[in-house]
Amino acid sequence: MTDKTDRKLLTRRGALKTVAAGGAAAASLPLWARFTEAQTSAPIRIGFQQHVTGIGAAYGRWYGRTTEAAAKLINEMGGINGRPVEIVAEDDGTDPKRGAEVVEKFANQHKVDVVFGTLFSHVVMGSAPRAGELKMPYYVVSEGHHVASGALNRYTLQPGITDVKSQVRAMAPFVLGNLGKKVTMIFPDYAFGHDHRDFFTEAVREGGGEVVAHIAIPPTETSFTRYFPKIPRETEVLYHVMVGPAVLTFVKELGEFFGPSRPEMFGFIDSLEAVDIASPGLEFLEGTYFWEGNPRYAQPDQSPYDRFFRERVGVDENGASVTDPRDVSTYSHMFGCWETLFVIKQAMEACGYRGPQDRPALIEATEAITEMPHSNEHPQGPKIFNGRTHQVFGVQYISRVEDRRLNVKHVAPIEDGLYPDEVDYTTQPL
Amino acid sequence: MRPLAAIAPALFAALCVLAPQTARAHATEQGFVLLLPTELYTAAGTAAVALTVLLVAFLPARAARSPFRPLALWRVRPMPGRGLVNAAATLLLLALIAAGWWGPRDPLENPLTLGVWTVWWVALVTLQGVLGDIWRWLNPFALPAALAARLGSGARRPWPRALGRWPGVVVFVAFAGFLMADPAPADPARLALAAAGYFAAVMLGAFLFGPRFVLSAEGIALAMRAYGRMGIFGRHRGRVALGLWGWKIAGARAPGLSLAVLPLVLLACGSFDGLNETFWWLAQLGINPLEFPGRSAVIWQNLVGLSLMNLALPLAFALTIGGGLWLAGRPVGWGQAFRLLAPSVLPIALGYHVAHYLTSFLVEGQYVLGVLSDPFHLGWDLLGLGHHHVTTGFFNTRDTVRLIFLTQAGAIVLGHVLAVLLAHALAVRLFGSSPRAALAQAPLAAFMVGYTLFGLWLLASPRGL
Repeated sequence: MTDKTDRKLLTRRGALKTVAAGGAAAASLPLWARFTEAQTSAPIRIGFQQHVTGIGAAYGRWYGRTTEAAAKLINEMGGINGRPVEIVAEDDGTDPKRGAEVVEKFANQHKVDVVFGTLFSHVVMGSAPRAGELKMPYYVVSEGHHVASGALNRYTLQPGITDVKSQVRAMAPFVLGNLGKKVTMIFPDYAFGHDHRDFFTEAVREGGGEVVAHIAIPPTETSFTRYFPKIPRETEVLYHVMVGPAVLTFVKELGEFFGPSRPEMFGFIDSLEAVDIASPGLEFLEGTYFWEGNPRYAQPDQSPYDRFFRERVGVDENGASVTDPRDVSTYSHMFGCWETLFVIKQAMEACGYRGPQDRPALIEATEAITEMPHSNEHPQGPKIFNGRTHQVFGVQYISRVEDRRLNVKHVAPIEDGLYPDEVDYTTQPL
Repeated sequence: MRPLAAIAPALFAALCVLAPQTARAHATEQGFVLLLPTELYTAAGTAAVALTVLLVAFLPARAARSPFRPLALWRVRPMPGRGLVNAAATLLLLALIAAGWWGPRDPLENPLTLGVWTVWWVALVTLQGVLGDIWRWLNPFALPAALAARLGSGARRPWPRALGRWPGVVVFVAFAGFLMADPAPADPARLALAAAGYFAAVMLGAFLFGPRFVLSAEGIALAMRAYGRMGIFGRHRGRVALGLWGWKIAGARAPGLSLAVLPLVLLACGSFDGLNETFWWLAQLGINPLEFPGRSAVIWQNLVGLSLMNLALPLAFALTIGGGLWLAGRPVGWGQAFRLLAPSVLPIALGYHVAHYLTSFLVEGQYVLGVLSDPFHLGWDLLGLGHHHVTTGFFNTRDTVRLIFLTQAGAIVLGHVLAVLLAHALAVRLFGSSPRAALAQAPLAAFMVGYTLFGLWLLASPRGL
């Protein structure tokens, strides 16, 4: 039902097109001729578990665009082990139950080699057990701590994006050293907010600071004025991680509450991912700080890799689509799809991957990866992969809102985000 | 500006229609909506409907029907080729089903998913309600059902006349259940199965029971005909005629009970389709809207909600009619009043439809253009879109979000204003124009003002999926 069609789908998306944008000499050759050095020219099939519909759709669209661009590039580079790469996308509806079904479908129906690309944590949690049972390598791009916490299995890996625990911990030295030592945290009262509360509180304590108040906001809240009086007067830094449709209201009301005399503020860009920082109502954020997974605005010292990445994905220097400057990308997350595909490529080449029988070897080859240098393959920055915890660690960016754009003020080194291993997946049988 | 970027606002402005359960989660758009003075808009919209109620109450009876007097155009001439168009529609549906089964797995690239949920359910339903009965031409089931009925005429079983159109009403509610409660109605293969199953069921029914089965039980055609009755084009005294939305209803005889209930069912389904996404509804279910667990976690909840809405709304409407009759001293029977007045809610149902689907249409309409430009994934560019990327940038600025919101609110308010006018025209027919007759209309008018408030609240509410 799918083989022929999926290839067509990919043809349409340009992922298998042999015509390279740069017009390389090889591009003039037909596809079969470019991959003939391999024992088989059958494509390597990568199942892309995509949030096309449901709550994750806005992210899913940009994950799709980045994945398409990376797959196209890999094919222009000659594919993997001389074979073309084919992305087989399936919508999981951002639904954990469907996520597990999609993994099963990838294994039994689409016969993919590996599965990749899942973002939302609850879908990862719903799908990973099935991937483990099917012994299907499952490369997630979720930034959840679920992989490194030991909650998942030998076949689930996160080599292309750092986890929230590492991100939060890496912020503490900068916040305590530059913004203040007395922190009040405002967060939504469910797992996402609780992760921030727990990881940051611990890191602040270790760094010699103090969290003077935790203010948990019920997720259905759409007005926040009554919570602000709970912010202690002694607060030097306000740490906020609100998400959802009420974020703009939150910022507006916070501005009305504090007026010109606010404490220092630090937030996670997750709150405003894909939102234009210059939006009306966000003026109050001027001068405040944000964690960014990858700087949305091209910086004066932009790396050639970031420039290359933007060009290939079709993102301008403000982090928006080249075809619509209002269409702001999910820049702090979507690089994870790109980098993960290159990790899969690297691991498949290291183990001479031929087919599903080599899946255990592929897992071991991925676990054996350690350093990933800053490059076109890893445009966000250098990284270190921990094969025992299946989690990658990388640099983190802290940016300040200045003249309605985000300027990077500090790059937290990899070491700032490291923490002791909580699991050793390599002891689990393959 | 690239062609598509130019097309998106034009699409929006030109069609003012618009699409299904995909791509709804646009937190930015909702963020801006929450910052808009929606209370003000809601108050203004509700006041507009209330003022219409007052205005028509003081109009002389003659004036009540005058807005609905059609303008006769040319004499009706037999239009050849309907059979051919019907046949083409059937072939298109079969091709789309094949594309759903064998085509791309991405619902935003699959012609079946886009064809059913964006082109038909959003755009064609809207056009049917706005223009008139175009479905007569485009109905893909009509021709094969007629053939199946002829083939089966030798061994015809009787279809019970007593069932009226109730089977069709139930079929439409089942369709709404698939739309709202199925975990993956946009999944191309799943939708192909559903569409093929429906096609086969209609054919089998037509074969076994003949044309009466199709009239009685083909719920899709029934709903389309209902909307078609409120469109501006129609026939009047042997001529093609043009009139205000609802003119055909204003002059029609009271339908049977089942056909009268159908507009209420359309409105109930449309209302629940918005309600089930609100923070309020998710809070009733104990679900965190910021961590929505997916459609498969709310299947029975949505089915129960949809059923309750479909019971509650017709019941409320029936009580409203009963209350009016009681106030006016029962000048006519309840059944007659209910059957004549129920179709007056059709403009409200269509207003909800437009408002609810506008945002997703703006996004999915772009994917439809992509498929039209390259229907067979051969790298064609028939529409000259160039290498285009779908954008949702219009959800990212306050001005565009306000324009979108006001268009949605406008559709809801316009629907209610039309419904008030239509109900009044029908009521004058029923009760005459005495002060007593005005009393008889009061509860229904209050119902419509209240429903405006509900519709605008729904539009301004934060949504979790």
